[in-house]
Amino acid sequence: MNELLTLTGLGLFSMIAEIFNFRKAIFPVIVLGLLGLLGLCYMDWGSYNSTVTHFSMMKVDNFSIAFTSVLTATALFWFMMSRSFFEDQTSMSDHFSLVLFALTGAFCLTSFTNITMLFLGVEVLSLPVYVLTGSRKRDVASNEASFKYFLMGSFASAVFLFGTAFIYGATGSFNLENIATYLSTQPQLSPLFLVGLLLMLSAMAFKVGAAPFHFWTPDVYEGAPTIVTAFMSTIVKTAAVAAFFRLFYLSFSGIHGEYADIIWAMAALTMVVGNVIAAAQNNVKRILAYSSVGHAGFMLITILVMNDFAAKSLLYYTAAYSAAGIAAFLVLYLVGSANNGETPLNAFDGLVKRNPIMAGTMTMALLSMAGIPPLAGFFAKYFIFVSAVENGYIGLVVIAILSSLVGVYYYFKIIIAMFFGKPDNLPTYFLTPIHRFLLLFVAAIIVLTGLFPDFVMGLMTI
Amino acid sequence: MILLQSLNSSRDFLPILLMFIVAAGFVSFVMVVTQWLGPKHKSKVKADSFECGIEQIGNARSPFSIKYFLVAILFVLFDVEVIFMYPWAVNFKSLGAIGMFEMFTFIAFLLIGFFYILKKGALKWD
Amino acid sequence: MEQLVKFIPLFPLIGFAIIGLANRRLSKGVTGVLATGSVLASFAIAVIIFMNRLGGDGQAVTVTLFDWITAGNFSAKFSFLVDNLSTMFLLVITGVGTLIHLYSIGYMHDDDGFRRFMSYLNLFIFFMLLLVLGDNYLVMFIGWEGVGLCSYLLIGFWFKNIDYSSAAKKAFVMNRIGDLGLLLGVLLIFTATGSVTYDSVFAQAANITIPVVTTATILLFIGAMGKSAQIPLYTWLPDAMAGPTPVSALIHAATMVTAGVYMVARSSVLYMMAPISMDFVAWTGVITALFAASIGFAQTDIKKVLAYSTVSQLGFMFAALGVGAFTAGVFHVVTHAFFKALLFLGAGSVIHAMHHEQDIRNMGGLAKKLPITHATFLLGFLAIIGFPFFSGFYSKDEIIIQALAHKPIIGYLLIFGALMTAFYMSRLYFLTFMGKFRGTEEQQHHLHESPLSMTVPLMVLAVLSVAGGYLLQGYMEHNLTLGAAVTASTEIEEHTLHGLHNVMWGVTAAAIVMAVIAYVLYVVKGQRPSSDADMKGLEKTIYNKYYVDELYESLITKPLNSISSFLSNWIDINVIDRLVNGTGGGINALSGQLRLTQSGNTGFYIVAMVLGMALLVAITVFM
Repeated sequence: MNELLTLTGLGLFSMIAEIFNFRKAIFPVIVLGLLGLLGLCYMDWGSYNSTVTHFSMMKVDNFSIAFTSVLTATALFWFMMSRSFFEDQTSMSDHFSLVLFALTGAFCLTSFTNITMLFLGVEVLSLPVYVLTGSRKRDVASNEASFKYFLMGSFASAVFLFGTAFIYGATGSFNLENIATYLSTQPQLSPLFLVGLLLMLSAMAFKVGAAPFHFWTPDVYEGAPTIVTAFMSTIVKTAAVAAFFRLFYLSFSGIHGEYADIIWAMAALTMVVGNVIAAAQNNVKRILAYSSVGHAGFMLITILVMNDFAAKSLLYYTAAYSAAGIAAFLVLYLVGSANNGETPLNAFDGLVKRNPIMAGTMTMALLSMAGIPPLAGFFAKYFIFVSAVENGYIGLVVIAILSSLVGVYYYFKIIIAMFFGKPDNLPTYFLTPIHRFLLLFVAAIIVLTGLFPDFVMGLMTI
Repeated sequence: MILLQSLNSSRDFLPILLMFIVAAGFVSFVMVVTQWLGPKHKSKVKADSFECGIEQIGNARSPFSIKYFLVAILFVLFDVEVIFMYPWAVNFKSLGAIGMFEMFTFIAFLLIGFFYILKKGALKWD
Repeated sequence: MEQLVKFIPLFPLIGFAIIGLANRRLSKGVTGVLATGSVLASFAIAVIIFMNRLGGDGQAVTVTLFDWITAGNFSAKFSFLVDNLSTMFLLVITGVGTLIHLYSIGYMHDDDGFRRFMSYLNLFIFFMLLLVLGDNYLVMFIGWEGVGLCSYLLIGFWFKNIDYSSAAKKAFVMNRIGDLGLLLGVLLIFTATGSVTYDSVFAQAANITIPVVTTATILLFIGAMGKSAQIPLYTWLPDAMAGPTPVSALIHAATMVTAGVYMVARSSVLYMMAPISMDFVAWTGVITALFAASIGFAQTDIKKVLAYSTVSQLGFMFAALGVGAFTAGVFHVVTHAFFKALLFLGAGSVIHAMHHEQDIRNMGGLAKKLPITHATFLLGFLAIIGFPFFSGFYSKDEIIIQALAHKPIIGYLLIFGALMTAFYMSRLYFLTFMGKFRGTEEQQHHLHESPLSMTVPLMVLAVLSVAGGYLLQGYMEHNLTLGAAVTASTEIEEHTLHGLHNVMWGVTAAAIVMAVIAYVLYVVKGQRPSSDADMKGLEKTIYNKYYVDELYESLITKPLNSISSFLSNWIDINVIDRLVNGTGGGINALSGQLRLTQSGNTGFYIVAMVLGMALLVAITVFM
């Protein structure tokens, strides 16, 4: 609960700070605040009472603390990465406060125990992101992306509410525990409930960007400013998939058999569609957008498996993916900002000669996303595959491995361009100290979490 | 089919279904009847768009100040938020001190927002 | 005191690192001193440990450096085992190693790659020490592979010569074949006992079934066949003479090629359990000994003769192991290291003096010009033919006696081998040092004795070749208890042994007669080997090493090459590439089609989502 208050307070502060000419203080306060938040998570670790719910709306437990920690750390990196982008603009304080409110929503998504809270979280997370997507006001692509995202997001929210209504109709409650109790006492499942479940599943699939509800992802990711894309592909994705997991874990796991096939098909389709389409792209930003769809497919496997180990591997996967995502998008942002915001594949030609740190970290990030040992991404995939195989989803694992092989192909397209392309008339880059630190630090995290996977895996048992 | 059967068995939803049928039926009835009864004379002048009886000049979709939009949306926002106070007031006694505290928090948030709007000059007219 | 053993491999490693990294920044003098000094330091420690153990109870001590691999229930420590066997090898490796390093300073001084050469030598010593020190098969395997690598690098040291680098390649490939056997053997031992550490493997040896232990030991021996150049994997060793002569002396005579003997002796507990393996080892050894000796009759390259003699002597050692005389085998390793290193270094000195002339048809009468080389070479020659009271006399006699006592046929064949050795070595000695000089005028003009750094090692080795056998005889008999303490000699009755010793005097006399015959043939009658063109019949066949290389070429290499060119020119292009490129092309085509769904039209997206949902509901409700 303190986490929620801290985040809201930080958001409010950065909203009005500019008015009081505290502009210079915003960034340090946010960094300190987020560090404090990490501290709160650390203190809450093990000392909370997991039976206490706040007005039966939310509950702090292992799951929520672990994911909040990942989200907060990612947000910290994100702020360090995007400071220069927003400081150039007049409305820095607005953007920062929007991000912090989005984070508040993300926190709600990791700790809700009530569908109402889930909906609030989804909306509090989504609305600021709609605005952020359009934050390059004079850029048509940014505006178009923002509007598309808003339209489709509202549609998904409507579907979500529709589903909620059905479930309320069937069970008479928004409370996840009550729903779970209803499911365990009901001998025959009401079709009303099933339809509601499917609608909610569709809405959540939209939020994580799973096929066939992924169509917004590439367009929005590409149109949004790169910094915002980084936010969406790391924090928004982590929060959404955590919410997806939590919702199904807390309430629907009793009728796992009813929806298992659907999630199976959805995960398979998402992995195939995301990875296969990415193979034909020539724009790095779009490659990463499709790869993000593919990764959503891998994460869906944990929802299919739905046990303690799956939750751990999801945590590890989101942490590994967020770290790689921050690094990749930072490099993408730097390359793009020297190239009129365009990021075609050939803008990366010979990057290793122009800036070895950028090329090195980008390579680490891409190798990690591709799942090359011993980087974090390898173990992320490995744990998920292990959990799936243990639960008998061998066919799905085969599909997953095949599609990650396709993934290797397009990630290496970028790596090959960076190392073997001829850099003709392309600029060399000079990193600000904060970016250099961030790149090296994230690269170290990618390697270290790969070398010591138990450190992250051991964080949580649900 | 299963869906409909279960709806039929669920008596709670019957009134809603009835209401839905009545509403839809009334609207379609009225629309059909007006089409049928009303006299129709089509001419070029009649199909033309007009404004206050004066012939149109230029494009109807001319830009107008964003301020109108801003004021309108802010009005809706605060209007809706004040509506929240009605159910609260009704349940004031049963909610007790916590309810009081929650409402103060709510109003504080609202005020910070209001302050933000003022300072950003959203309500300044020039 | 045994804890000091940690430093023994450390010094050569440091030497390798410094010389390898500093390269041209060090002068040749400093490089030479550093390289030799690091091995000398190891030798000093080895001597301290040896002396200390001589006074102690002789118990084996395990020195653990660190936990190396722990995975599940498998664990291997990086630790060293110090017992009498490994101490013996330590002394030989570091001692002979020091001398050969010293020799190399003179021999290689004018070579451009001097520093590279010295660093490789140091690296070799490091790996060789790991091989004999490891307390489990895994550390031994690391050393095993490491010496193979160094051998490859040093044979191909003059890599600009295509013949030399293909000799290096040949050595490497042949060793790989053996290594595969070794690795499989170790894996089999691991599956059978759950451990690779010598102690626990041998402790559980009784629990392994006989077929398994037979298979494992034969697999291990295949590794030894590759490394120690036994039939059929011996052809690389004569070719390995392409390397500089100190390499031939150190790696291909004194140390590396005896690794197989060490490994079999180390695993003696297992071999004792598998009589079939023992027979296999003995017969391989004895056939190799005779076969290689016969090739030695017609060779004209001074180093090639020594190389075939090495193969033959290694055959003796394996024959000894195979009849259960592990101690005798190890004893022969040690004495052989002395005299064969001496002979190689002497040959190197001759080659040095003759300006890289290696053909004995062009030598003769060198005794007067190279007095020290001649004197030491003579002592080495006497040692190898088993002249009484020289080192070879003791170890070879021991082998033959044990063989006669346990497997008489092997013993008779070995006696025959010893006589052959006496003849072809005499031939080599007389053709090189006696008679008239047969080289060119210019060569005669430039003949000179080698510098001190080369002759000192010769002299030291000569002393060891003469006295080593006598000095070590007692130590070997009492302190090396191999083969589960069932040393063969304890079983033989005393008077039989006495009789066999008398037989050996006869054999020794016969060997001396062989030498005299050679003297008559090559010195008194002045017979010389025919030139390449004049050779015919048996001599030509033997000169061409029975065409074994050609046989391998047509039986193995050619078919392999044609299969491989078929695979690369047809299968790879028409099947593999098509599959791979086809997959890639297929994905790209699919991708090109799928991306069309991403039209950018929001309306279409929403319709697709609604259809998706409808599909979900339909599937769930109606199916």
